[in-house]
Amino acid sequence: MSNRRPVGRGVLSLLCLAAVLFTGCTRTQPAAIRFGLAYVPQKLDPRFSTDATSSRLIRLLYRQLVDFDRRQRPVAALASWARLSPLHYRFRLDPSRARFHDGRPLTAEDVKATYDSVLDPKLASPHRSSVALIREVRVIDQDTVDFMLSKPDPAFPGYLVIGIMPKHLLERGHDFSAAPVGSGPFRFHSWPQQGLLRLTRIKDRQLFEFVHITNANTRVLKLLRGEVDIIQNNLPYELTRYLESKKHVKVMHRNGSNFTYLSFNLRYEPLQDRRVRLAIAHAIDRAQIVRHMFGRKTRLAAAIFTPDHWAGDPQLRSYAYDPVKARALLRQAGYGPQRPLRLVYKTTNVPFRVRIATIIQYQLKQVGIQVSLRTYEWTTFYSDIKKGNFHLYSLSWVAVKSPDIFRYVYHSASIPQTGRQHASVGANRNAYRDTLVDRYIEQAEQTYDPAQRVRYYRLLHKRLLETLPVVPLWYEEHMAAVRRRVRGYRIAYDGNYDSLAAVTVRR
Amino acid sequence: MFKSWFALAILTSWAAMALIGPLLPLHPDSVDLQKIMAGPDAQAWLGYDDVGRPLLDRLISGARISFFVSILVVAISTVLGSLIGALAGYVGGAVDFVVSRVIDIFLAFPGILLVIALAGILGPGIDNVIIAMSSVGWVGFARLARAQTLSLKTRDHVQAARVLGTKPLTIVLRHILPLISAPLIVEATFGIASVVIAEAGLSFLGLGVQPPTASWGSMIRDGTAYMLVASHIVIVPGVALLLIVLSVNLLGDRLRDWLDVRTRLSAG
Repeated sequence: MSNRRPVGRGVLSLLCLAAVLFTGCTRTQPAAIRFGLAYVPQKLDPRFSTDATSSRLIRLLYRQLVDFDRRQRPVAALASWARLSPLHYRFRLDPSRARFHDGRPLTAEDVKATYDSVLDPKLASPHRSSVALIREVRVIDQDTVDFMLSKPDPAFPGYLVIGIMPKHLLERGHDFSAAPVGSGPFRFHSWPQQGLLRLTRIKDRQLFEFVHITNANTRVLKLLRGEVDIIQNNLPYELTRYLESKKHVKVMHRNGSNFTYLSFNLRYEPLQDRRVRLAIAHAIDRAQIVRHMFGRKTRLAAAIFTPDHWAGDPQLRSYAYDPVKARALLRQAGYGPQRPLRLVYKTTNVPFRVRIATIIQYQLKQVGIQVSLRTYEWTTFYSDIKKGNFHLYSLSWVAVKSPDIFRYVYHSASIPQTGRQHASVGANRNAYRDTLVDRYIEQAEQTYDPAQRVRYYRLLHKRLLETLPVVPLWYEEHMAAVRRRVRGYRIAYDGNYDSLAAVTVRR
Repeated sequence: MFKSWFALAILTSWAAMALIGPLLPLHPDSVDLQKIMAGPDAQAWLGYDDVGRPLLDRLISGARISFFVSILVVAISTVLGSLIGALAGYVGGAVDFVVSRVIDIFLAFPGILLVIALAGILGPGIDNVIIAMSSVGWVGFARLARAQTLSLKTRDHVQAARVLGTKPLTIVLRHILPLISAPLIVEATFGIASVVIAEAGLSFLGLGVQPPTASWGSMIRDGTAYMLVASHIVIVPGVALLLIVLSVNLLGDRLRDWLDVRTRLSAG
């Protein structure tokens, strides 16, 4: 008996302690705001992330020197800049900038350390090529840093979008992907499993949980049941409409800028004939597809940049649906019922993409083109596309802002050389060659006068639409569905999650 | 009795759809964007799918793929597996050892993984799907046949046949297989359902039928994405598949009873 009593007391006091701790925890930590993600973020290290989800989360955790405005022109973010000469830029860090999450101040040394790390060939960062023109980063003082370039490039400040990381942790080889440390409005809390990431909003210690839910139906049901508060994009239009009929949920739409296109392989002899490509452009009823398959803010595309992009062209119109003209063009090119044009169209096995491809296949069949569809999972599909192993494929350019994309995609020097080790230097995967386009790209790259650059890019857009290396399809809208208790969420022009910094919850 | 007739009627109509489907004026691939996920009307008695194609037409033309794939795969697997298994069990010794180890190796992998690997090597297409699934499907039958044979090979009539100088293959075919056919037939009836589902999985990975060709598996797969808003897209092929599997199992059951001498005698 005398033995037992202390044990009993111990248990009792432990229970009390646990009760106090437990209630204490619930009081200091407000309920989390949950965000349903369609894809798992791959890496939260700004030097290595390439997927859209990671990039959007990285914007919450880190701050970058340069950002973009609504017309996608580079603007000052963490730093403002001045061009001292075409090869010399001076950046002044924002004096009111936040400290790193570990309490250390962010200085010019950290900027240098971040870019030196990305530029280090041993690190093999996928972003190295985009900043390879930086010859040297020089620290002038705590708040000032100079970027010296190896060649002039008017688009240059737009490349400095890598989140700034603390020098002392970079030197130590800290694993930023496992425990990110930046100076953004959100601090890393925990990442207990691949599909659950927790971040804390610094200003009010509000906890945010990013939950991975692959299946669109499940994501919608979880939103309706209140297991997540916000979901964004990656829903079939039918589910968006279904959500619009629910009163606990608010559905928002916004113009998107992700450019979806149908690409031709110009190595394939029948597709070298412009009449054939034109016939295909006229045979696809894009307006009908957009009306029935996409949200109301989806727009028809005529070029890689939207009309509201600074280098876009609001006057540009793509080809109208005209099956009669399409058949006539095919006849001129020597195809008809006796000799039908046969093409292989590759796409990913994402059900929504297969749906779109099936509709395009049917519409092309109506003008006499026999298309066989091949659906592959992403890795196989992408490797085939990179190797040039296709006749037709459709894909989107996601979050393209800077006009250096023209060189990357349309310049004849960017045709990937199969068999070479550096096959990924360019993305001119359809082997498009046009001397005029090459010249416009080069001239625009050498011009600092903004009006003149816009003029070149508009000429470029027009020439690309004439020569048709790809059929521009549409810019898909962004949509978000938010439970009504959540206030202040806005869809960003590029679909980023920045407005989470201002979101509040009604309790 | 009613159950058997019902099952027979279902299976007959399945076979009829598969055989005379191509002769009917169907439009399984005609897309109509206005009709996306619409309910039944005069042109489409079962409604429309996710790109506005008539579901009934797709159901009938999809029956063909599902029918031929499942019948062929199950037939090839049953014949091949039973023969290999029964012979190995009967002959014994080194042959049995080698066959058993091969079976073990096959069983060590998840079946669908091997099918995917094989179909991946062979390339997309329905004929390759049949080859890939058969070359994995025989294993289950072989194991079953071998185990059953081991318990039968010491029976008197088998011994008698051996003493009379009958060849092993003849003994297996005439004296052992008829006795072990009942469990094999039951196994085969289960196989039909799993083959239809496996075909859907392969089509999903781009290794089976390619769009717009309809197969029941791919119809179910496409439909599940819209369960919340248009459940008929998945219910139509789902119910069809359910009826087929149920009927095959019912008939398989009846067949087993009929093949089993004891039940027939007691019933008589």
